[in-house]
Amino acid sequence: MNLVPHLFNGLTLGLLFALVALGFMLIVGVMETINLAHGALFALGMYAALVVMVPPLGAFPAWSAAYLALPVGTRYALALFLAPLLVGLFGLVLEACLRRTYGRDPLYGLLLTFGAALVIEEAIRLVWGSTEKQLPLPEAISGAMLLGDLIYSRYRLFACGFALLAIAALWVFLEKTPYGAIIKAGAHDSEMVRALGINLARLRSAVFALGVALAALAGVVMAPIWGIRPQVGVDAVVPAFLVIVLGGVGSLWGAVAAGLLVGMVVGLAGAFASEWSMLSMYLLFIAVVTFRARGLFGRKSVLDH
Amino acid sequence: MNADRPANTRLAAPATARPARRRFVSAMATALAGGGAFFGPWATNRVWAQSAAPKPLVIGLTMDASGQYAASGGEERLGAMMAIKEFNDKGGVLGRPVEALHMDTETTPATGSRVAERMINRNEAAFLIGAVHSGVANAISQVAQKYGCIFLNTNSSSPTESGKDCHRTKFVWDGNGSNFAQAAVKNAVRSAGKDWVLLTNDYVWGHNTSKATRAILEASGGRVMEELLVPQNTRDFSAYLLKLQQIKPQAVATAIGGDDIKALRQQVVQLGLHKRAAWINNQQDWPDVYGLGPEQIFGVFGTTWYYRLDLPGVKEFVAAYQKQFPGMAIAVPGNVFHNGYMATRELLRCVQEAGTTNNLAVIRKLEGRRMTARDRLQHHDAWIDPATHQCQQTIYMATYNDAPAERTDIFRILTQSDPKEVMDADAPKACKLESFEATPSYER
Repeated sequence: MNLVPHLFNGLTLGLLFALVALGFMLIVGVMETINLAHGALFALGMYAALVVMVPPLGAFPAWSAAYLALPVGTRYALALFLAPLLVGLFGLVLEACLRRTYGRDPLYGLLLTFGAALVIEEAIRLVWGSTEKQLPLPEAISGAMLLGDLIYSRYRLFACGFALLAIAALWVFLEKTPYGAIIKAGAHDSEMVRALGINLARLRSAVFALGVALAALAGVVMAPIWGIRPQVGVDAVVPAFLVIVLGGVGSLWGAVAAGLLVGMVVGLAGAFASEWSMLSMYLLFIAVVTFRARGLFGRKSVLDH
Repeated sequence: MNADRPANTRLAAPATARPARRRFVSAMATALAGGGAFFGPWATNRVWAQSAAPKPLVIGLTMDASGQYAASGGEERLGAMMAIKEFNDKGGVLGRPVEALHMDTETTPATGSRVAERMINRNEAAFLIGAVHSGVANAISQVAQKYGCIFLNTNSSSPTESGKDCHRTKFVWDGNGSNFAQAAVKNAVRSAGKDWVLLTNDYVWGHNTSKATRAILEASGGRVMEELLVPQNTRDFSAYLLKLQQIKPQAVATAIGGDDIKALRQQVVQLGLHKRAAWINNQQDWPDVYGLGPEQIFGVFGTTWYYRLDLPGVKEFVAAYQKQFPGMAIAVPGNVFHNGYMATRELLRCVQEAGTTNNLAVIRKLEGRRMTARDRLQHHDAWIDPATHQCQQTIYMATYNDAPAERTDIFRILTQSDPKEVMDADAPKACKLESFEATPSYER
């Protein structure tokens, strides 16, 4: 069997895993809050994109017709921008609820975000129903293409390209802008940041909203691959959690490297020992964490000395 | 606190307060003692014995509302609810109103067991109805058999359900993997070719369905080039689809269900692989395909019912669904709803005919029961096999309808098989029903 297509597939799968984990990584790394609602927000991003693509404007048929007359590509581009924005704004509300848990036992934050996940999933079910939905795609990124003698999905390549772009943009934001410097400083020494006159509460809100928007963005990108249904968030939150712990909590490049590693292992297992494909990521996780508890790129803890 | 009362003021008790309080306390104690004696803790709540209203007949709906089969669980629940409403509109069963109690079995066997225990022991359910996932169905049926409670497995179709995992108290209403394979495989070998790959969900239904497919395929002169096991909840099928490209089979037989098949269909179309091999999906549940675009409903697949069968009563049945459940996301009923409805209706008819809720009497009514094609809105008469407790019914093969009469008309029925032609011959050999003597007597 030719191995090259499977290595390539593992690489693309890894980039998608990294994209799914980005928002989770940001919130855990900067705020030290495990956002168990990450998956539900990922799903909400899918539904928000659906609303932007096909708005429920039944009461205004003229507006609806005019909007739907826009090219699918335009509406898809709008969805890529507006869905994360809308869900990010919702993230601000969620963060306002979360605020009361800061400085307390981390269990409070866990329980709150877990509850939020249940509420969001049930709300999705009530509003959109439990049946499968589909996101219309522009012709240019639909269907298959030939890469040598390999048939590959055009959309999958687009999604990987987009994942690369999102990772690069987040890196530039965190490493090359003053806002990124403040966020990192806030994570490192919040007292000092506050002493410098920076509004820490607002900073946390912004980081949380950005993390939520990234979850929603991943949802929009993954919608045509995984499909849109209320419980799809569960499929996202588990690999996201695994990727950030494997990569080292709070490390952007750790998340990317872990995503690629998980993608490669799952892809190769799917090809050569298909029944192990799901389990393989957990085995990888156990193997890495056994020998390197802080993950691939995690900072050394004082307990390690 | 009262706003016009100073916060630090202590209220002086009125002169008559003490005797009044005593009277109140002794009245409460008497009421509590009386209430305790009246209400229990007794196994049977006496309120029904002493009131004029008949005690409701509680039916436990053990159906998934979350997990891989949430959508199908919702549909079969509607089916059961419609049958129950029809009986209640006519005065209930044995003069008792029928009350449905639903708990989410979460597409998880452990939850299924817990829910069944709770419904039988705490909620006094007379019967349990509902299952899509075969592992969940098996778990519920073990609990049901322990107590003697009749359990209707409405929609889970592993051959083991009416084979090695059969029980005296369990009745299986869906066609099983073997029935569908017999209806599909022989024809497909002739039309598509002999080299097949099996894509199999890695759990009991997938394994047993693929086993049946393999046996019929090999008996028909075909061969299995490879079987790829797909873990449940797989969302990314790219590795499997790449491998299919390399193996180049003439046909791919899938035993993939729930949310997994939805994701698979999308990804197959994205790669255009639906045009490169014949796809045979053993059984396609309506909620798993409803809402998908025309391209994604590719290949040939099995079902037990379609809402546009040209048979008497079908239109009225669809109208009744739409009247009772207006504005549903699934606008027309499908096979999962049909099974939920037919199973519940037949059970309640049997209770009525038996004149009792006693499990053994109702089981005797169900075993070997014959149902006319007209009554079940299918092409052939159906019956419950007394040796396996599986409902033998018409098996349809369908494909996408490229000339739909309306938006929801997405199936084109290709064949309808008489149940006699597609019976699962292995099930009676594997099924060992417990004796009546070994089954606890159970009555609510």
